[in-house]
Amino acid sequence: MSAIAAEAPHDDHGADHGGHGHEELVENNYMKVPNVKLALWTFLGSECMFFGSLIATYFFYLEKSISGPLPAEVFSIEITSISTFVLLMSSFTMALAVDSAKSGAMDKARNWLVVTALCGSVFVGFQVYEFYHFFHMGLALQTSLFGSTFYTMTGFHGAHVTVGVIWLLMCAALVNNGKIKAERAVVIESAGLYWHFVDIVWIIIFTFVYLLEFAK
Amino acid sequence: MFRNTPVAAQASPLTTLRGWAQRAASSRTLTLLVPVVMGLLLAACGDGNHPRDTLNPAGDGAQVSAWFFWLYMILDTVIFIIVCAAMVVAIMKFSKKKGDDDSLPPQSHGNMKLELIWTVIPTIIVLVLAVITVGGVFQLSAKPAEEQKIVDVEVIGKQWWWEFDYKNERITTANELHVEEGTQVSLHLTSADVIHAFWVPRVSGKRDATPGRTYPLYFKPFEKGEFIGQCAELCGASHARMGLKMFVHPKTGPDSYDNWVKAQQAAARAPTTALEKEGKKVFETKGCKSCHTIKGVAELTQRSRTTGPDLTHVGSRSTIAAVTLENNVENLAKWVKDPQSVKEAALMTNLGLSDKESKAVATYLYSLK
Amino acid sequence: MSAKLLDIESLQAPEPHMHFERPGKTGLVDWLTTVDHKKIGILYLLSGVFYLLCGGLEAILFRIQLAVPDNTFLGGETFNGLVTMHATSMVFLAIMPMTAGFANFLVPLMIGARDVAFPRLNSWSYWTFLGGSLVINASFVFGGAPSAGWFGYAPLTGAQYSGSGVDFWWAGLALLSASSLAASVNFIVTILNLRAPGLTLLRLPVLGWMMLVIQFLLALSFPPITVGLILLGFDRMFGTLFYEVSMGGDPHLWQHLFWLFGHPEVYVLILPAMGIVSEILPVFARRPLFGQTAVIFSGIFIGFVGFGVWAHHMFTSGMGPVADAAFAATTAIIAIPTGVKIFNWLGTLWGGKMTYPTPMLFAVSFIPIFTLGGLSGLMHASPPLDLQQHDSYFVVAHFHYVLVGGALQGLFAGVYFYFPKFTGRMMSDKLGKVHFWTFLAGLNLTFFPQHMLGNNGMPRRIYTYPADAQWDLYNMLGTVGALIMGAATLVFVYNMIVSWRSGEKAGRDPWDACTLEWLTESPPKVQNFDFTPIVLSERPVWDHKYTEGMEIVAPAKGEHFHMPSYSWKPMICSGFVILLVIGLLMNTFMPGNWLWVISAVSGLGVVGSVYAWVSEPV
Ligand code: HEA
Ligand code: HEA
Ligand code: HEC
Ligand code: CUA
Ligand SMILES: [Cu+2]
Repeated sequence: MSAIAAEAPHDDHGADHGGHGHEELVENNYMKVPNVKLALWTFLGSECMFFGSLIATYFFYLEKSISGPLPAEVFSIEITSISTFVLLMSSFTMALAVDSAKSGAMDKARNWLVVTALCGSVFVGFQVYEFYHFFHMGLALQTSLFGSTFYTMTGFHGAHVTVGVIWLLMCAALVNNGKIKAERAVVIESAGLYWHFVDIVWIIIFTFVYLLEFAK
Repeated sequence: MFRNTPVAAQASPLTTLRGWAQRAASSRTLTLLVPVVMGLLLAACGDGNHPRDTLNPAGDGAQVSAWFFWLYMILDTVIFIIVCAAMVVAIMKFSKKKGDDDSLPPQSHGNMKLELIWTVIPTIIVLVLAVITVGGVFQLSAKPAEEQKIVDVEVIGKQWWWEFDYKNERITTANELHVEEGTQVSLHLTSADVIHAFWVPRVSGKRDATPGRTYPLYFKPFEKGEFIGQCAELCGASHARMGLKMFVHPKTGPDSYDNWVKAQQAAARAPTTALEKEGKKVFETKGCKSCHTIKGVAELTQRSRTTGPDLTHVGSRSTIAAVTLENNVENLAKWVKDPQSVKEAALMTNLGLSDKESKAVATYLYSLK
Repeated sequence: MSAKLLDIESLQAPEPHMHFERPGKTGLVDWLTTVDHKKIGILYLLSGVFYLLCGGLEAILFRIQLAVPDNTFLGGETFNGLVTMHATSMVFLAIMPMTAGFANFLVPLMIGARDVAFPRLNSWSYWTFLGGSLVINASFVFGGAPSAGWFGYAPLTGAQYSGSGVDFWWAGLALLSASSLAASVNFIVTILNLRAPGLTLLRLPVLGWMMLVIQFLLALSFPPITVGLILLGFDRMFGTLFYEVSMGGDPHLWQHLFWLFGHPEVYVLILPAMGIVSEILPVFARRPLFGQTAVIFSGIFIGFVGFGVWAHHMFTSGMGPVADAAFAATTAIIAIPTGVKIFNWLGTLWGGKMTYPTPMLFAVSFIPIFTLGGLSGLMHASPPLDLQQHDSYFVVAHFHYVLVGGALQGLFAGVYFYFPKFTGRMMSDKLGKVHFWTFLAGLNLTFFPQHMLGNNGMPRRIYTYPADAQWDLYNMLGTVGALIMGAATLVFVYNMIVSWRSGEKAGRDPWDACTLEWLTESPPKVQNFDFTPIVLSERPVWDHKYTEGMEIVAPAKGEHFHMPSYSWKPMICSGFVILLVIGLLMNTFMPGNWLWVISAVSGLGVVGSVYAWVSEPV
């Protein structure tokens, strides 16, 4: 099977989620955007509604909790600022990965992917610590509406980061064993889109959930 | 009007007519549909004297709704007739006839002018409707003026019955709401468990009774009598059995609203016969007290989801268990003995009363006029 | 006017050079591993028809309960369960999958593509859908069907008030949501990127357009309900407080999240049917669709406005006059683009030369029946009127006219019309007409009197009613009508089976139709087209046949292309996703570490199968 595909003029050992075998049809690519990238944009549109609903729920219930602890009592702005900074930096390293991939430096791209994934893991680690800490300050999922909405919203964000870390590591592995070549840099670019999106969502949460709490 | 009328349609009127008739009789039975549907449409309107007829209003809320209904009904009928007529005529005129060759009809792609017409006219209609509707919305939600007499009731929906709290008059009753003809009613709806909806079709539109929230419903009944209603929001197994009644009393006379209030404010009547006394004892000893209030006999302080209706004047109600049964001694006994056999999943415990005990307690309760 | 110049059958193309593995396997394994959009389309269609029968059977059962007053055939809990499952099956498991079937089979053909953009993801969508549907229906076996109504209002769905049926319901729906998100991404890319040369967006057939619009609706409207369902699931499993009134939770949160999805959803159900009607009317009127551009743009407009009207389902909930007025106004606006469609269809008939095989009958009757339903919808859009009609049988009448008379009739029309393309054989027209007339009779007999019931104060979802309510006549008619519709549907299914096996053979273009899907064989070859057609107009096949100088020309040399191979990975991956959900459900039966064990296994399974998937050579 690989033998046949290797003969084909459009070698497309696709490594994206199914965007394989159709590069020849991209000739009729009306949107001037590769399939994988267009798919990702659409998916992110849907994700906007998803996080939009979660964040809206958080604000809908803000200050409606009938028992403490209050957000300002548990939030520790220093710790969260550090983890936010790490996540921001990971967007930077992600951009470097995409850049390297586009210019054909696949080894470099792989390394940056791993660094990005590491940053992501550090962020998730911070979040686990934060949850643990809040829990011991008396805020559980079942404590109050604040507990329910806060953990659910940030938990889903954390889950997205985790998925992103797995995604990046998968990309790195595929680059490593030669399944993503320079021609398919778009695959890494798409992973990057997702990563930046997750990052932006965090910026929004950090600004409106954490910082506003202290601005008050 | 249509530029591309095919040749066949330009024949003499007589042959055209004959052609239509033939075609209508042969294969175009589809057109039959139209008169049938329209006949039914008319039947929809005049439906006689129905106990819950929304179009026979007995309160100002229902009246506004009915007015809107007729407005929309007339408009809808006109639009529907236009659409159907255009379709029927098209079917009669533009169907392929026997013996027609295979040549094509004119291949027009549209007509800007026509398309504009059928965009602009509906737009105007919709705008007019929107303005009228907004007026109606604000009219129905207007808070009644303070200085007039108001029947002010807090309504609590419960699985599967209604509690009516007259805070000012200090009356608590169940399933039967009493109000006064021509007097503004102001209901404050809430719920003790899930969402219910208060609906007495002849008097007013419905409003949800939502737990944790209180929403108002204002109306003014203008016809005396008894009006039936029902919970209109799915609330569990016995949603169908969550009826209610509204009694609209005259302002004066023995049957007046004020007299009803006085009777309800009185404490519970003391038992007289032996059986009634026996029944009172059953009530006090068998655990009924844990859920029911009888003023002067047993009063609840703690209320919960399973807390039952106030029974101080239960004998004065025309029905029991939210209009599930007529109120009489046999039915009361039947209910008390095995509530779940009367009403699926009813939240009143089956306390395992014997026939004798249930008969006694029923007699006692029925005496609480 | 001009007569036929050419025949589609005469179009000859040189053999293409293909690199592909399809058909990879045979028999059952082929169906499990297929990534062919046509086979996946047929799987969707058959599943949809199956659940149509289930949903219909449920309806017939509860209609029997309603036939006479004080009936004791079903209890309240069972009745509510059947109503909930009826609506859930019909909406999510019958109409939507049938629509997905049409989208899968037809969209790539209509746009001259060889498959969808992501064939394996397409297979994943199907299996995840199937898993979700089985999870929902498993509730019948484990502890009873969900019974809180199809819009499952909180707090009735809470653990305190509802049994485990609701767990199956939310978990199953969450799976369907994932499946439909994947499908919508796939189809948006397919339609935007894979169109044949010359097939500009304005030349895209109306059905293709409507499929595109609904994919956007799905992608953007499913997330709110997914969030709503997750919050519900957390409340039930972990004791969070989202809908817990005693802790400050607000039941309206669910209502907004649900209807923010629920209203766009009804346009997801109707727009494909409108697309099908827009394809069928021109073929049998033998003239172009009147004002095609306007029909397309009105569909887009409906999609847009559909996002701003959701709270018209909450006029009685006490949102206050300002919100009521705003949502009433936006809702009424939808009448305008819908009217544009209706009138343009009439304009298509007017001046045509119509014949009436079964698909045309269904398409024509769509017009008045849908209009009737739309007009009663307009009544609901006026809060002063809706305060009476909400949650009464008037609403039931409204939405069955648009859903059964609209969406379902449109899909029936589509099945008769495209059956030759799906299978290479014609459906029996005689049986088709029996189906059409009996169904139409049953439909009106059941749902028309429900307007009167609503006006006479009958609330919906009541399992019984007293004789003195005087609702018995219309309810009896409704039950008889439901049985007639049931019989009609059986005729339809019988027709499908018999015609599939021994129907008259159909050529490429049995209806003398307009769009690209009729260019290729019936059923189409695995690669769809032997060459990539160049499209010059919005009716390429029609113009090929009837317009000089607009022929579709086959290339002199065989084309070269590559088709992806069959794959097990999508099904395995979706199996692990479903396992994850089953783990959550197990938790309600056997609380404890099961949840974590199964979650870990299925999480690893998902990651592993995705890695295998993406590194699979194709
Ligand atoms: C296919 C599905 C479908 C479609 C297409 C529609 C179309 C419409 N619906 Fe419907 N609706 C449902 C499915 C659908 N609905 C369902 C399932 C429910 C109930 C859910 C539940 O509670 O379980 C519901 C409930 C529902 C409600 C809530 C009722 C209530 O519970 O109180 C409302 C309120 O506004 C409403 C309005 C409308 C309107 C205005 C349209 C419009 O889009 C209709 C537009 C069409 C026309 C108006 C006719 C054609 C137009 C012309 C011929 C032009 C000329 C006309 C004019 C100028 C007016 N619908
Ligand atoms: C697209 C959606 C759709 C469709 C097609 C239908 C189709 C039908 N519906 Fe449905 N209905 C809804 C969507 C739909 N409905 C929704 C959303 C609700 C609201 C639910 C709620 O309140 O929560 C509802 C509620 C609803 C009610 C109100 C219940 C209540 O409030 O108490 C009624 C009552 O008559 C009804 C009747 C019918 C009937 C008779 C059909 C008929 O068209 C069915 C025709 C019959 C068949 C197609 C069956 C053929 C099969 C056989 C004869 C058996 C053979 C079986 C096997 C071999 C397995 N429906
Ligand atoms: C667990 C609490 C509970 C106990 C104990 C209980 N009830 Fe009830 N009762 C209820 C509830 C709840 C209802 C309303 C049920 C309904 O209509 O769905 C009710 C309804 C009634 C009604 C009908 C009232 C009306 O106006 O419709 C009567 C009469 C009644 N109970 C009598 C009794 C008697 C007598 C006993 C003792 C033998 C008793 N109840 C014990 C909870 C209780
Ligand atoms: Cu209470 Cu329905
Ligand atoms: Cu809606």
